[in-house]
Amino acid sequence: MGFIRIINKEFKIASRSGYESFMPVIYLFIIMIFFNISISYVSKNIILELVPLMIWVSCLLICILNLETIFKEDFEDGTLEESLVDDKGQEESVAAKILSHWLLSNFPVVVIAPLIAILLGISYHTSLILFFSLLIGTPTMSLLGSIAAALTVSLKRNKILMSIIVLPLYVPILIFGTSAVNNAHIGANYDSELYLMGILFLLFSLITPTACVKALKVSLD
Amino acid sequence: MNKLLEIKNLSLTRNDYCIFSNINLDVQEGQLINIYGKNGSGKTSLLKILAGITERTGGEMIYHNSFDKSLKRTYVGHKYGVKNNLTAYENLYYSLDDHKDKQTILDALETYKMIDYKDSLIKHLSHGQQKRVSLIKIMMNYAHLYLIDEPYSSLDEDGIKIFNETTYGLLSSGSSVVITNHTEVNNIFTNTINYKI
Repeated sequence: MGFIRIINKEFKIASRSGYESFMPVIYLFIIMIFFNISISYVSKNIILELVPLMIWVSCLLICILNLETIFKEDFEDGTLEESLVDDKGQEESVAAKILSHWLLSNFPVVVIAPLIAILLGISYHTSLILFFSLLIGTPTMSLLGSIAAALTVSLKRNKILMSIIVLPLYVPILIFGTSAVNNAHIGANYDSELYLMGILFLLFSLITPTACVKALKVSLD
Repeated sequence: MNKLLEIKNLSLTRNDYCIFSNINLDVQEGQLINIYGKNGSGKTSLLKILAGITERTGGEMIYHNSFDKSLKRTYVGHKYGVKNNLTAYENLYYSLDDHKDKQTILDALETYKMIDYKDSLIKHLSHGQQKRVSLIKIMMNYAHLYLIDEPYSSLDEDGIKIFNETTYGLLSSGSSVVITNHTEVNNIFTNTINYKI
């Protein structure tokens, strides 16, 4: 099946699954409301420093929470098994699955997060860097997390195991992402952080599809 | 008749438990192979090995002639491989080879007497109807080797008749079909091998 056709299919399925598509954005709103309530007694300057970082951590958690869904449904309805039979195009279909999952689950968060930051008083410039860092960081997390999702797809309670596998691996992305946003906030240079995140993204774009196919075969064996 | 695949001394062991061993089987073009046996005898596992989903723990699988690794296989397991939130037509559309015409889907739905349900979501169909969509899905695209796990389960008499007719068409065109079953299959196709596992 072609790359575009798989993405088209995933969007059609998502359009019929109702409120589930909005859950990541709702979750981000809830976290930010709770965060603001809990630090309401702290001085405004400290809040302004913490908000973009808190948004980054929230996006990371949202990314982990919905990782499970990348392959789970396909595993349960049998389409995953079928897709691994034909030796040709397995990497292409896995890449399309990961991209459509990111577009549906994480991209809305990437768009909404800077808007929330602006609403909470963060400058436009810092919000823009927050947007770019999330735009590079969240797909990298999806790529990295999809390998763990593939390895644990056949396990019934795989969420905790998956979190344990991916959380330590997310640390560099989190450090670069929050560092870039913090540097933008204090007026320092943030280019190197964004470049490093870009390199990580390219690296995982190259290795993840093949690694996922191997991991899925191990899981289904 | 050309040999498609040769299986020699195939075995599968899981956690020191031997599921099966010494399976020897030749798959020829235009041949139906019915693998039958008791529950837990390893029918599905054997089919998954042929599909390349499960790794064998012993033996050889030799592809013949020009096929080598380019042998086009298609597989449907116990799970039907159809999406609940897509209609019967959409499920088939998204699995269709790029170069094929959409009319192929309508013709296949007509053959399987599912045309009235083409716009129904899969989750609203019965198990038997879902099975029909699943069978259409794999039989619509050309393959050298069709691997179908228990095709007769969930199908009514009419469904079985249509499945047999479609299978006959595939065999006549030179494709091979390997199915699993609980009993022998007799007097349906001329070139049938029943293999007890």
